[in-house]
Amino acid sequence: MRESIIMKIHYGTALAAVALVAVHVLMRLTQSFAESLEYANVIANYQFLPYAGMLEIILILLSIHGFNGLRVILLELKQGKTYEKAVSYGCLAAMIGLIAYGSRTIIMVNMGMI
Amino acid sequence: MENHDENKEGIGGMINPRRYGIERVAYLLMRLSGLGLLAYFIGHIYETSSILKGQVGWNEFLALTQTNEGHAILAIVIAMCVFHTVNGIRVMLGHGGVGVGKPARPDYPYIPASQNARHKMGIYSAIVLAAIAMMYGLAVMFGE
Repeated sequence: MRESIIMKIHYGTALAAVALVAVHVLMRLTQSFAESLEYANVIANYQFLPYAGMLEIILILLSIHGFNGLRVILLELKQGKTYEKAVSYGCLAAMIGLIAYGSRTIIMVNMGMI
Repeated sequence: MENHDENKEGIGGMINPRRYGIERVAYLLMRLSGLGLLAYFIGHIYETSSILKGQVGWNEFLALTQTNEGHAILAIVIAMCVFHTVNGIRVMLGHGGVGVGKPARPDYPYIPASQNARHKMGIYSAIVLAAIAMMYGLAVMFGE
């Protein structure tokens, strides 16, 4: 994929994540901070489908943005055909791994599998 | 044969915030905050997965984070998040050609038109807003 397209994705995921993370943080402030983190409250959050969907979208957006950012930093440090491929595929694998791990939590709690 | 690598400073050159003004400091802070936020994000995904262990597992992990040290780390995360966001928007606008000045003949002392007061103000605003957000975060977490 062309770097110009990757940067557009990088900026797009950043802007979308800012809006959604703001909602995620504001949800913690609808009640006292400690109260919002109580087990029953967190379970209720996960089992509210629109909110669970938003968490999944945040997970995907931040994983793409975060690991592409890491890739950019590592490519600034050193260049070379093998190195660049290793960094790009390594970041892609880590991104997929994190999305899979986070999705597992969201899906299992949402479906009451705990 | 001439060594073409002699000017490469590697990671030392990348993390050196001196010589090029506040823009260079912003460059370094952007990367440090990005790496910090990625580390926090991975930790947060791992932390929230403890809910799969039931109420006991959740409360045990929560107890680890609801400490003074945990709150201090979260306050730093808030500051990094705000700086990264505000400075990121400045960088995006700059890449889009907003606030970088008009192309002109390079004259002595060769100050780049893009390194102007508007962008410097953007960087200082990002730092100030990050500090304010951190203080607010500390007030919320320690005020209970």
